[in-house]
Amino acid sequence: MTPEKAFDEYHQAVYSFLYRLTRREDIAEDITQECFLALIRAPQRFDQTRGTMKTYLFSIARNLALKHYRDYRQEAPLEGQPKQAADPRGTLELRSAVAEAVAALPQLQQEALILFAYEGVTLEEIAGIVGADVGTVKSRIHRARERLRRTLVPYRKAGIKHATP
Amino acid sequence: MQPLNEDELSDRELDAILQEWKAPPAPAGLRASIFPASKPWWQSMWSASIRIPLPAAITVAMALAVVAWQWILPAAPPANVHELQPVAVLRPVIIRSGK
Repeated sequence: MTPEKAFDEYHQAVYSFLYRLTRREDIAEDITQECFLALIRAPQRFDQTRGTMKTYLFSIARNLALKHYRDYRQEAPLEGQPKQAADPRGTLELRSAVAEAVAALPQLQQEALILFAYEGVTLEEIAGIVGADVGTVKSRIHRARERLRRTLVPYRKAGIKHATP
Repeated sequence: MQPLNEDELSDRELDAILQEWKAPPAPAGLRASIFPASKPWWQSMWSASIRIPLPAAITVAMALAVVAWQWILPAAPPANVHELQPVAVLRPVIIRSGK
């Protein structure tokens, strides 16, 4: 797959992932650009036997985002030391509340949840992207969802209160 | 069916609320910043540049100067044999030394 084709297919997914991870459009754009430039500079690093182009790009994007956090010394909460979410009873809109609640998750839970819930990446693929085993990824997503269940309760919508699978 | 819990969202409720957070579309100029479009050759010529060593540049400049000098200076007119006329009367003058 050529870099141009990879860009056409995956740039929106990579950008969305980075936007949700950083919550900044300008940073998401910069890192998306860096991500594809890295692919152009060294296309031979993509090993088809180790995963798909999509997971490879997510992996680069994730590493660049972590590097950005380190370089700019932004607080990336460690697992088990979450930041507090904003008061949901305030005037925040629902989408802002969701963004705040996800941002309040520990970094490792956050990235796993975003990849799983928003980008449709499988547990196995996430494990490859973040360099952890599937069980660990599953546990991170479970804990993230548990926390969000409680944090976002004030935003419960009428009509979907009772789950009926 | 999940049990009703007022303090927690169900899976379905959580999924619905999570989907409320939309990511904006990627900027339109992103592709151009990664894959700049190549210009036609005739447009590239206006900004083309070459690097040559200084001795080579001096040699070329001197050669051009010599060529220009020769082109500017008027060359001596060639002798035209058809314009030469024979002398009608030959009057030689003899110059003697001491007179």
